[in-house]
Amino acid sequence: MNRFALALSAGIARVTECALGPYQTAVVRIGFAATWLLFLLRELPHRHELYGPGGPWSFDLAQQLIGTNGAFTALIWTDGRLWFEVVYALAVLFAVLLLLGWRTRTMSVLFMVGVLSLQNRSIFMGDGGDNVLHLMSMYLVFTRCGRVWSLDARRADREQAARARGERVTDRVGPALWAVLGFVLVAATLAGRLDGDLTVPLILWTVWIAQAVWWVVGHRARTAEPRVLLDVIANIVHNGALFVIMAEACLIYATAGWYKIQGSRWQDGTAVYYPLHLDYFSPWPALADALSASGTMVMLVTYGTVLVQVAFPFTLFNRRVKNVLLAAMIFEHAVIAVVLGLPFFSLAMIAADAVFLPTTFLRRLGAWAARVRVRRADRAALPRPRSPENPEQAHVGSPS
Amino acid sequence: MDAYDTAGDARHGPGPEPAPRKGVAALSLRYQIAAALALAVVAVAVCVHIGMVFLHVAPSNTVSKKHGPAIEDWIYPEFEQNWKLFAPNPLQQNIAVQVRAEIREPDGGIRTTGWYDLSAHDGRDIDGNLLPSHTQQNELRRAWDFLVATHDNDNRPVGLRGDLAESYLRRIVVLRLDREDAAGPGGLVERVQIRSRTTNVRPPEWSQEQVSDKPMYRELPWWEVPEDEAEGDPA
Repeated sequence: MNRFALALSAGIARVTECALGPYQTAVVRIGFAATWLLFLLRELPHRHELYGPGGPWSFDLAQQLIGTNGAFTALIWTDGRLWFEVVYALAVLFAVLLLLGWRTRTMSVLFMVGVLSLQNRSIFMGDGGDNVLHLMSMYLVFTRCGRVWSLDARRADREQAARARGERVTDRVGPALWAVLGFVLVAATLAGRLDGDLTVPLILWTVWIAQAVWWVVGHRARTAEPRVLLDVIANIVHNGALFVIMAEACLIYATAGWYKIQGSRWQDGTAVYYPLHLDYFSPWPALADALSASGTMVMLVTYGTVLVQVAFPFTLFNRRVKNVLLAAMIFEHAVIAVVLGLPFFSLAMIAADAVFLPTTFLRRLGAWAARVRVRRADRAALPRPRSPENPEQAHVGSPS
Repeated sequence: MDAYDTAGDARHGPGPEPAPRKGVAALSLRYQIAAALALAVVAVAVCVHIGMVFLHVAPSNTVSKKHGPAIEDWIYPEFEQNWKLFAPNPLQQNIAVQVRAEIREPDGGIRTTGWYDLSAHDGRDIDGNLLPSHTQQNELRRAWDFLVATHDNDNRPVGLRGDLAESYLRRIVVLRLDREDAAGPGGLVERVQIRSRTTNVRPPEWSQEQVSDKPMYRELPWWEVPEDEAEGDPA
């Protein structure tokens, strides 16, 4: 009993004192923002057909369906062509800013608004990749996903350095952004635009009020305690959301795996052959034929797929096995991207997988990316022979 | 889940001053109680959410049958999900959606076109394409699935969703016919008829399985195309 109490208090200390997995949440943030950004850019020529007021899933049809389920989309507010273009452009912008980690919390909310606005406008255009993105865009709002590898982290470093030099730091952008978005939120609420399902309005209002409280406490509180309490709450919420993200990834694999076990084609070892020969999923028929030329290979891949999907959640209890399976799954998704012609689905799944990547690997990746950047900057800076990894700059990606 | 370690040095004070970081231990009792309350609320919310999602993706069972409405309330519309990816069995048939149209010519005559294989067109667009568009890969395919799911065996729509599915599919085929310039100069698409052509994927060469290679057709009745739609262009 005593041991149990000790473990419990250690666990509580852990989830309250820091936001766990800073690199993992950052890479998930970057992964999903990049997936959505690339998708929007790729579909730029088709945007009207997919989500526009005059597309096949017309404004009128969307309105009727949303009338029954109350899903959130800003595109249902008006059928104006200009409004559609604005929303699409903003969705691109928010994806870029979330990727860079500029005002990360606010951008994560706006990113979610962009994702839901477009996806919920035409739900029959999406596939599994859109579904993952939809869920993760909501979960990301609750994480502190900009603590590393972000403009926010860089700004925090600079502010800290400035303060250490005794300078006063005032942030005007944050309150201005808050005020503008607050105006939009109040206007939308008063105009009855948020009268559908409660989930999204609740998230919007909660974050907006929380940011105000955060600012007031940070600037006005006389003791440190209220600030520490808010920090603790933010950590708790972050860790809860991180757990949900991991559980969601596990549920995806578990569902995909366990349902497959019941299928006769997954049992007889031929399942993988079939998607490769569907017209809608075979951009490279010759490659598909080559991959499925050997019955034994197809059977091994078929069984391997089920095995990995079913086993994955259980391997989380063993770091080494988990990492091997993770590598296998990321590789399989990379193959699916090309062979089945599902690049954005695969990218989204890899972004979700990334939450399980080990910290040491991610830090090495960050240091490597920083070195590449330094080298590029040096090359651009003319005759000076490039200095071998400047330890100062090698750290830009991983604030200490 | 302790499957990964945490970098303890990656913390940052988002507040204006670097706050002393000791977590709950640094707080007085009053604040500790508030933190404990927050922890409890978040813990419950996380458990409920994961539980709801689990019941939503799991097969129908004792608990989910009993609490069906509560689960649906929680999940729909924003947390809906379906992860039966190629499960329990992958699709083993190619389903092509084809359409033909009745065109009113400028001279008042009526002409019926041949069948356009719109899925084959999608297939050609996807071939050799590293980045297939949702318009090529999902639009028609999912519209047909939606129609099948919302129509009875006599091709009659069931409920509002059935009507929505018909309008949607009609608008897609009219758009595609327009791109093929099926109406010709001065012509107008008055009615369309859609059918699906289902063929089995031929079994692998290394298997002894035999399946019929004869296509099966499902033909929908002719639909009138509203006049404003016949000229419509989404772009």
